[in-house]
Amino acid sequence: MSNTITERDVFALLNAPIDIAATVSEVRTERDGAIVTFDGFVRHESHGRQTLYLEYEAYESMALAKMKEIGGLIHERFAVDKVAILHRLGRLEIGETSVFIAISAPHRAAAFEACRFAIDTLKRTVPIWKKEYFADGAVWADGELPPAPPSAPQGAS
Amino acid sequence: MPSVLSNFRVQVLFFGRVRELAGISQESTEVANGATLADLFERYSIRFPELAAFRPSLVASRNQEFVPWNTPLVEGDTIAFLPPVSGG
Repeated sequence: MSNTITERDVFALLNAPIDIAATVSEVRTERDGAIVTFDGFVRHESHGRQTLYLEYEAYESMALAKMKEIGGLIHERFAVDKVAILHRLGRLEIGETSVFIAISAPHRAAAFEACRFAIDTLKRTVPIWKKEYFADGAVWADGELPPAPPSAPQGAS
Repeated sequence: MPSVLSNFRVQVLFFGRVRELAGISQESTEVANGATLADLFERYSIRFPELAAFRPSLVASRNQEFVPWNTPLVEGDTIAFLPPVSGG
């Protein structure tokens, strides 16, 4: 599937389970003193209904581009070392990791802040969609509307 | 006044709820010179009436960037009408 590993960072969309230990190893270097991770996984219920499983789909090329943009913003804003952002696609069972973020830094404060920024921004701007399957049907999860760009000037080309 | 000669093609992608309502995941379509993303969506909401009600909850993308609805289309563009995102 789509993935990008730069010298510094890792961004990936995966159809197979995310290897959490390997991802943490990837961002752990001797330059650092801390790693903060976020492990988002499938909950057994949604709005009081029992979930059977989830299906994720993405606009893959755009999703990967937006994940890289988040990485770029993180390096601009926070004193961190390496960033890994991985997201699963396809069918996920209860308890499986859907998104995993690992960020290393010399000091913990920047890693905590950057990790929070990464997941919050991913949930608002990365074109990935989740369909929730229940015993009595399926629904597309209520999502977040990415911030609408201002209108283009009329007559602009 | 657009002539047939000034028409061009764009690629349109459909995801999530929009893909299900339209029943297609992508197609190439011909548009008139000067048309905007809003004009293109209008055409799809006539062809797939269930889409019309979703317009307020969609954002448009052109070549993998979120753009305003009044953005003019350019030959070779890849367009998508994206439902609210729900990754994570």
